[in-house]
Amino acid sequence: MPKFLTSINAISWYFLFPVIFIHFFVVAFPSILSLLLCLTDWNGFGRINYVGLENFQELFRDRVFKKAVKHNIIWTVMFLTIPVIVALIIAYLLTGIKRGQLFYRLVYFFPYILASIVNCLIWRYIFHPRHGLGGWFENQGIDFLAKSPFAMKETALYAVAWVDMWHFWGFLVIIYLTGMYQVDDSLYEAADIEGATKFQKFRYITLPMIRPIFVLSLIIIIIWSVPTFDYVYILTMGGPAYSSEVVANHLYSQAFQRMNVGYASTIGVMMFFYVGIIVGFFAILRRMGWEV
Amino acid sequence: MMNKILKIFLTFILTAFFATSTFAATKVVWWMESSADTDPTVQEMMCDAFNAEQDEVELECVFKEDINDTIRPALLSGSGPDMFDTPGASYIKIYQDAGLVKSMQEYADQYGWQDKLLGWAYNSGVFDGELYSIPKNYETMIYFYNKTLFEENGWSTPNTLEEVESLAAKIKAKGMNVYAYGSAGWQPTHEHLVGNYFNTYAGPENVYKALIGEKKWTDPEFVEAIELLRKHMVDEGYWSGDLETYYSLDWDDFNNEFATRGSAMLMIGTWGFNVTATNFGESSDDWDWNPLPILNSQAGSAPNYQLATGGTMSINASSKNADGAAKVIDWILSDKARALKVTGSLGYGAWLLPLKYTDADFDPNIDPRQKRFLTEFAEASDSGNYGYTTWTFYPNDPGVHIWKDMEVVWAGDITPLEFMEESQRLWDQARADDALVPVGKR
Repeated sequence: MPKFLTSINAISWYFLFPVIFIHFFVVAFPSILSLLLCLTDWNGFGRINYVGLENFQELFRDRVFKKAVKHNIIWTVMFLTIPVIVALIIAYLLTGIKRGQLFYRLVYFFPYILASIVNCLIWRYIFHPRHGLGGWFENQGIDFLAKSPFAMKETALYAVAWVDMWHFWGFLVIIYLTGMYQVDDSLYEAADIEGATKFQKFRYITLPMIRPIFVLSLIIIIIWSVPTFDYVYILTMGGPAYSSEVVANHLYSQAFQRMNVGYASTIGVMMFFYVGIIVGFFAILRRMGWEV
Repeated sequence: MMNKILKIFLTFILTAFFATSTFAATKVVWWMESSADTDPTVQEMMCDAFNAEQDEVELECVFKEDINDTIRPALLSGSGPDMFDTPGASYIKIYQDAGLVKSMQEYADQYGWQDKLLGWAYNSGVFDGELYSIPKNYETMIYFYNKTLFEENGWSTPNTLEEVESLAAKIKAKGMNVYAYGSAGWQPTHEHLVGNYFNTYAGPENVYKALIGEKKWTDPEFVEAIELLRKHMVDEGYWSGDLETYYSLDWDDFNNEFATRGSAMLMIGTWGFNVTATNFGESSDDWDWNPLPILNSQAGSAPNYQLATGGTMSINASSKNADGAAKVIDWILSDKARALKVTGSLGYGAWLLPLKYTDADFDPNIDPRQKRFLTEFAEASDSGNYGYTTWTFYPNDPGVHIWKDMEVVWAGDITPLEFMEESQRLWDQARADDALVPVGKR
């Protein structure tokens, strides 16, 4: 048998082959197919007609798509700020707790291990106008949360994001905490000798030292925000009046409710390019010497 | 000796094998929409009963969640069951275009299905002159009311717009909501209301003309119907008090609200019979139902019943046992008393086959209110006094638009006219794409 077939490199490829094979047929091939479908008017069943760039022209006229893109941007900004800040603070405070830290870790991480449907039902019940907090306040004679924030177009997007953030931030706490534990204690000891405050230690030691893991968390948030779907679908289905519609939800509606599979593929391709741009941006930063 | 034993053994095995394959019943697999409440009854009273009555065809019923998502890849791959359910005729149209569903015309002619089914129900499955689907269930929109409450307050059931609005004011003055309803968990609930207003304000004749393209959806009667619905929903808060609460209540919530005097009426499909009877069974109040009031004189003088099919059954184009599947369908359609017994066991909310029932077919213990619906509906639809639901007669894209964008009208982001202009655009597109579903001639 030729030597190159039994080399370490070749053996690595043998082990990778099943995964690559599955990935090609389950992910890569459908993705390539989707690239082609976006140039058609396919309804998912019958004839496939080539329509050129018509779907793209339609996409830029589509008011719901524009709204959904705006909502995805708001969503991303919210996730890049609120859970990140809260998780950083809590993780840092947790590093100072010697006893009972595991309990807090469990409590904060618990929503993350719950299925999205469970999280959504909990919060739908809490905000229910009859049985939830609104009903309880009403019985006390207080007009607060009388209407579910999921049902008001002014608040629906933020309410859904709140539930998703409630589920997500515990995950950030755990990865930040892991990063913080990797910081050399001698740096803090030196800072203590110099009389640094807790905030100064956080600002000048912790934050710079966990930068790779912190930036990774931001990349994850940005990329995961693009296909966000489940919480929106379960809680509001993008309503009321598209006030919480996000791009993935619009894609689903076009593909499986309106049976415009070609058009839905166009939306998918736009999402793909958007993620590509983000990944490319961070790749450029890395090339420029950023610790990303 | 050993050879002899071996020969006898092999002869026995081969005989058993050929006997089994020669005389085995044809197996027909049917994928049905699953519902935890009804599956055991359907299995027992339809599938098991069919297998027990004959030995030519062995029927295997497989209950599937979200049947449309499940059946689609199966059909596209050229496999799948012999028979399958779909949510409605608009899906059949797509399958038929793609050659995934078998024409049942030869079976319909052979077994005389047209004579067994109500005319409109048979026509709803006819595409390009051939039968492709048969409704498993029919339904219409009505309203239930708390009879005891109405009697206590001396209220009369409304028949006109003026009477509806006058009654609504009296109900609200008592601190109750006019109608119980909500869309949490099922956003397409909105289309029930849109269909009600189209048929009782613009009228079935105008809806029919718009469906077949003789009229525009932007004509004043449709725009006014949407404006009236907007007024009743947003300004008056007829449904569960206000728009936001309507968006927040689910099936259990609003049914409970109706049964506990939170609301005086419940405008819903006839699938509500079962739950209404159950909920009121635990209350000292009594209930009854009426057809929807006519909100405008152009909608006619007599109440109309909107036609709707709740699910269809069809044969897979790639089925190798289509003849067996047709026998299953014929067995189902052939015995009206049995069909009524099955749907009666399910509270008449499922498997209400659109057959030509007569008085003799009914169980003497049937709830008279339920019987009144079945007979009045048959009479009204037979005499042409019927309307059209959006979920049976609309193609996909315009159908989704109705319930998705109605929220935009309620939010005040677009006007009723803009809503109907978009509707017309989508209908024009569907017509150009040959995506319309059949509408029988009035």
